[in-house]
Formats: sequence, structure tokens, C-alpha cells
Amino acid sequence: MTYNFAFLDEDTKRMLRRALLKAVAIPGYQVPFGSREMPLPYGWGTGGIQVTAALLGPDDVLKVIDQGADDTTNAVNIRRFFARVAGVATTEHTVDATLIQTRHRIPETSLREDQILVFQVPEPEPLRTLEPREAETRTLHALADYGLMHVKLYEDIAQYGHIATSYDYPVLVDGRYLTSPSPIPKFDNPKLDRSPALMLFGAGREKRLYAIPPYTHVESLAFEDHPFEIQRWDHRCELCGSSESYLDEVVVDDRGARLFVCSDTDFCSGRRAQVQA
Amino acid sequence: MLPAFANPVFDSQRTFRELLQAMARPAMPRLLPVLPPSPAPIAPAAMAILLTLCDATTCVWLQQPSEELVRHVRFHAGLRMTEQTHDADFAMMTDPVSMPSLERFAHGDLRYPDRSASLIVQVDSFRTDTGMRFAGPGIRDTQSLAIEGLSQDFWHQRAALAAQLPLGIDLFFVAAQHVVALPRTTRLLED
Amino acid sequence: MYVAVKGGEQAIARSLELLAEARRGNTAVPELELAQIREQLRLGVARVMQEGSLYDEDLAALAIRQAAGDMLEAIFLLRAYRTTLPRFGYTQPLNTSAMRVRRRVSGTFKDIPGGQVLGPTYDYTQRLLEFDAAPTTCVTPFDAPLPPNMPRVLDLLDAEALIERIEPGDDPEPIDLTREPLMFPADRATRLQNLSRGDEGFLLSMAYSTQRGYAESHPFAGEIRMGDVDVVICPEELGFPVEIGSITLTECQMINQFHGGNGVPPQFTRGYGLAMGEGERKAMSMALVDRTLRCDELAETNYAPAQNQEFVLSHSDSVEASGFVQHLKLPHYVDFQAELSLLRTLVSTLHPVQQGEDGRGRFEPVSPEKEEQREVLKS
Repeated sequence: MTYNFAFLDEDTKRMLRRALLKAVAIPGYQVPFGSREMPLPYGWGTGGIQVTAALLGPDDVLKVIDQGADDTTNAVNIRRFFARVAGVATTEHTVDATLIQTRHRIPETSLREDQILVFQVPEPEPLRTLEPREAETRTLHALADYGLMHVKLYEDIAQYGHIATSYDYPVLVDGRYLTSPSPIPKFDNPKLDRSPALMLFGAGREKRLYAIPPYTHVESLAFEDHPFEIQRWDHRCELCGSSESYLDEVVVDDRGARLFVCSDTDFCSGRRAQVQA
Repeated sequence: MLPAFANPVFDSQRTFRELLQAMARPAMPRLLPVLPPSPAPIAPAAMAILLTLCDATTCVWLQQPSEELVRHVRFHAGLRMTEQTHDADFAMMTDPVSMPSLERFAHGDLRYPDRSASLIVQVDSFRTDTGMRFAGPGIRDTQSLAIEGLSQDFWHQRAALAAQLPLGIDLFFVAAQHVVALPRTTRLLED
Repeated sequence: MYVAVKGGEQAIARSLELLAEARRGNTAVPELELAQIREQLRLGVARVMQEGSLYDEDLAALAIRQAAGDMLEAIFLLRAYRTTLPRFGYTQPLNTSAMRVRRRVSGTFKDIPGGQVLGPTYDYTQRLLEFDAAPTTCVTPFDAPLPPNMPRVLDLLDAEALIERIEPGDDPEPIDLTREPLMFPADRATRLQNLSRGDEGFLLSMAYSTQRGYAESHPFAGEIRMGDVDVVICPEELGFPVEIGSITLTECQMINQFHGGNGVPPQFTRGYGLAMGEGERKAMSMALVDRTLRCDELAETNYAPAQNQEFVLSHSDSVEASGFVQHLKLPHYVDFQAELSLLRTLVSTLHPVQQGEDGRGRFEPVSPEKEEQREVLKS
């Protein structure tokens, strides 16, 4: 069985492309689209895959990461999928990629204007856990009525002394739409603000896509007396010594000994290569 | 009948990537990589956009439909034409000086601002070393752009629409082999 | 020294080998043939076709074999395959009145024109496991063939204007949920398409709930018919209808609680279900839920889960549900790390932890007075 280039038929690609253009024209707004069933399950990146498939061309160099790593099983699976249906060149090096599909992290290496970052999004609606009805959340976005979220954050502070959201931390895009940055750790939120790269978000199961254009103001919600703060570690990466990157905690023996390593495997190996050179 | 894209899959993909960057980086012209043959009065660059984005599921309004043109786009893209500007997903302006006012096209509604028209406007030329200054998402600081061939009233109409954000209309301007886009969010700076 | 975990590709490759081995099972046992599945597991095939939204018995059989009998996995396989198929157009609406009926029953009248035709059903069996191999039986053919256009039971009520009439003229062009996302509020045609693709178990439970007081609609099975229906297309180039084949369908029309008002006398209301193959349980469940979701149109108090359009339609699709529930198996360690960090921060200042001799962590319980003191400190 031969598939059309990048699996999707041209009608579907056109539908996605039209939706993506509207998404870019309305930063942070969730555009409904006719998501298709893909060979990977809903909830496993079909939105990201459809966006990538709509963009992908034979000259692209594709990087796929999950939890910041190229070698996690789902990243491997998706990369294999595109190699199979598009024959496209793939890479593990962020600097060499033209298109990066990611689940739950933004690369530590700064992105360039010629790169596009495609996020896999499980739940595109930032208000969903506070308001299950789509009919209602659509109206809240129409009216820019985000009181529900402010109340939630305020209640966290009242109960815990801290905002109790550590990932999928809501942002306001271009001062208008409340947006879910996808379940990236809040550590990565600052990278969304005024990035040189275009950022596209695909939610296949929920059938929404959205965009943050380059050089767009993206602000993480906070209060004046409780400003937004990113995570920090008391440790450095065990492998490359970085104190600037997001670290994964690894349990190394059955007495619970821990060490910390960079989540971004390409960033880490790049630093180690530099040290050796 | 004239042919369309020689390699539809790759020609439309490459064209789309330029359109995407044009919309993401407003007021900065992009070179369209493929110029398919096109019956007058639609220029090849504008035809490339139509073929890339439109098909039997979109409603297209042509400012100057000719029999040959309609036959061409129906055959190659299965396009559905409409005579109602308000129903158009895409509108092709081949004589911008006399184009209908922007308020005659769909602006979307507050719950679905994406349900709005995209206009492809064929102009004489554009340049970035001088002209009006723009700012907004996609533009690092400000960007200059001068477009030749639009009516005087055009910018007033667009400014009037800006009051309805996030409702609005998104624009592609084409001249020769270049395209430049202005999404609704791009602000014209008063100097 | 810690060495970063690698080898995801090899792990996947090995997992696929193990899967192929498990799928095949004991190689001394003959491999299942698609024809066997198609013929002898026909009800499973019907369900996979229906929820896979693709009428092809051989493909459904292939999916069932590939999925080792996991029906939801088979349905997913068929849906993914469907995505790749080119779309030629739409058929004419299926004319179930002209169905070549093999089974047709009604719970509303003792006898009806055309008769109660029982057909092949488990309804009259005793559920006793048959340990001896199924004997091959020869079915004595009927002397008299079934009437070609079996009259509809509901038309009998319509003749007395006792059942609501839904004129085709009022019907807007339906949207296609395989091409467009579901939006709310959804009209009846959209709801019916969603329900027809929906998981049988979920719909069965929703339907059951309506019989136990969660939006009771007093249903009667007006007519259930199963048989073959011709599929007809009308190509633009030809301008006349062409029959391209026939498919087996099960149709259920429920007769429900009567309503009146706005100048209209009380009439029975309808619920409709349709399934590919012999999908009676599905068609009946669908009909009950269809009727229940019409609550707003029929001015009924909306309080029950099965009346909640967003709730029912958003959670009916097994491919979506299974994908998202099972996605929890994917690595989530980055976000979990973020939560761990946060929780440790919240806990450390308020509840210092000691590790006991048994290796279990214990925190100091805080007295209410101390808790209050801390509240004051926080504010």
C-alpha cells in the first residue's frame, strides 16, 4: 500500500492549512478542525502529527522529541512514521532541524526564525478542568472572561501559599486569548514569549489547533504580589554539569538514591561534546 | 485549457510554507516558489494561492470571473464559486481599486472568529524600504511596507475593522512573484 | 557512573516481535482464516464495521484477527484505514422501507401486516453453553417468500395521526462528522451520526439509565427490522441513480412518551437507531438515547446524564476514549517532576518528614492551634 506523501490526502492537508493560517491570524485562539483518525491513537500525538504532515516537505529536516528526549518510545514511533510515509530526513540535533515536533517540552537550545515548533496538545482548553462544557468555554473566550482561572490561582495561594500549577501553566497571548501552552513545565513558559520561531499547537482528539506567531507577547498569569516563577534545582546535571536546564530525577538504586540529568538529551550531549573537544 | 500545478503535492506544500511564514511575519514579503499558468485576469502568483488553499469545500468569490477562468478553477481545483461576498471563505481581487468594501465580507463571530474571509489582492507592487509602518504579532519591532494599487479608502476600511478584533479579515497581497500578508492583528502605526 | 537510558528503538523492535508471537499463539494450531471470522463471528464483524464506520466484512475480519479479538483495537484499525480511502461522494439516503427483511418484530401489536418474523436471533435460546460441537443444521426453506415491501408499524399510527411526523423537508443538509469537528449545540442528524459511531457499551449504559428513571421516556419497540438494503448513488456525470450493491442493516424505531402543545394534539414521539449488520442491541440503545437527547426540542426538563448532549456526544467515541485513557501509559515524567518539585516545596516548610526504621516516611501531625498560627504567618 502506498500512501500519499506524509500520509494525509490533499483535501485533508488543505483543510489543515486553511485552519493553520486562521490560527496564526488569531494568536492563541483555538480553531476547530476536522481531525482525522491516524495510525497512532488519539491522545498520543495525532494533532501534532496532522500539523506536521500539513507542513512537511521533502527538504525539511524533522526532529521529534517527547519529554525532551529523542529516544523515548513515542518520539521514536512518530519519527519512524514520518520516515516511512514521507521519506524525510530526521535529526536529533535541534540546531539542524527545520521542523520540531514536541511533547511536553521546549528545547533548551534557542530556536531560530527558520524553525517551526509543533506541540502535541492533549487538552487545548485552559479552562476545561474548571468548566467542562465547551459551549460555555467558547463564550468565556468570546468575552475574554477569564475570572474562573484567576479565582483558581487565588484559591491556590490562599490554601498553599503558592500557585499550585507546575505545568500546563496558562498564558495570555497577545494580551487577548487565554491559552494552554500544552503540558510543558512552567520552566519552559518564558521561551514562548517573543520567540523568533513560529509555534503551532495541534490537539487531534479534541479537534482544535492554535498558534503563537513569532515575536508575540506571551504572559504567564500571576498576581502582583505572587509573580510568576520558574522551577529551580539545587542540583546540576550529573552528565554535563548544566545548572540552567530542566532536570529529570532518576532513581538509581533500591535505597532510593537519586541523581538529576538534563531532560533535553540533545542539549546535554551537545554540552558534553563541547567539554570533550 | 491551461495546466495548473505541475506537481500538485509538492507545489502546494512549498507554496503553503511561504503563505504560512507570510501570515506569521506580516508586512514582510515572501517569494512564491511556483508560478502556475493562469487565465487572465488572475496572475500566476494569485493562482498559486488559490490552488494551494481552495477546493470543493471552500466558497470562493471572484471579482472578475470570466468563462475561461471559472472553467479553469472548477476543473483544476473543483472550486465552488459564490456571488455573495458574505458567503466567501476566499475572495480574489483582480482590480483592487474597485473592490467591494471590506465590511461586505465575513468577519467571523465572537465565538468563532476564524469563520472569516481571507482576501487575495492583486496589486501593482510593494516595497519595504519606505511606506506605512506596522507592528504586532510576528513583527519584531516595526516593519515598513508600501503597497501600490489600493484605493485610498482601503486603509480606512481596515482601520474601522480593527475596532472589532478578534473579528476581522486576513489579507494576502500579491505582486509579480511575491506575497505579503496582513492578518487582522497587524496594527498600522500613526506617525 | 550513571549512563543515560538509551535504546528506545531496539526496545520497540523487540516489543513488536513479542507481539507478533503472541498474536499467532501456538503455531501447532491452524491460523484463523478471514473467511472463518467473517462467517462464524459475524456479529463481531458487524460491530467493528459499524463503529469503524466502514462497511467491509473482509476488512473488519482482518482487523479482528490483527487485534487478536480486541474489538476496540479492531475498530481503531478500521477507522485509521478509512482515513486513507479516497472519497467519491455520498449515496442517496438508504431506503429501509424497501429492505429485504430477514427479521422484523414489533412489541406494540400482537400481530402486524407481514407478521412477526423472528429470523436468526439469540432471543429465544436458553443461554446454556453448548459443549458439543455445533451440529450442522439444514434450514428448511420457506414455501412463501417474505413480502417485498413490509409495511411499517409506525405508518399504522401515522394513519391516525398518533405519532409525530418529521418531514424530510425540514431536514437541513447533514454535516459529516468524519470531516468536521463536533460543535455544540448539535442538531439531530449530527447527534445520530455521533451515536451511530459510538461505543455500544457506553450507549447501552446510557440507554439503560433512561429506563431506570434518569429521563424516563416510556419506550416501546415499535419496529425492529433487519435485512438487506440497496446502496444507490447518483453520479453528476450520469444524472440518474445507479445501484452499486447492498448492505445488511438493523433499524430500530422506538415509540415513546406522547407530547402535545402549541396547537398540536398529543402524539407519540420517536427515537431512531440504525446499525450495520445484525446490530440490534446497538440500534435499540441508539434509539433510546436519540429520543432522550431530543429533550430540549420536546420541552422536557433536562436533568439526567443521558440528556446532557455535551456529556453523551463528547464521550461516545471509543477510539477517542481509549486513546486518551491509555495515553496515561506514555512518559509523563517531566510534568511529574514539576509536581514533585512543587509538592516538596509546599510540604517541606509545613510538615517536616522523618523516615522511620521501616523505610516509610512520617510527617509530624500539626495541631489545630499550630495550623492556625501558620495561617496567620501566611497572610
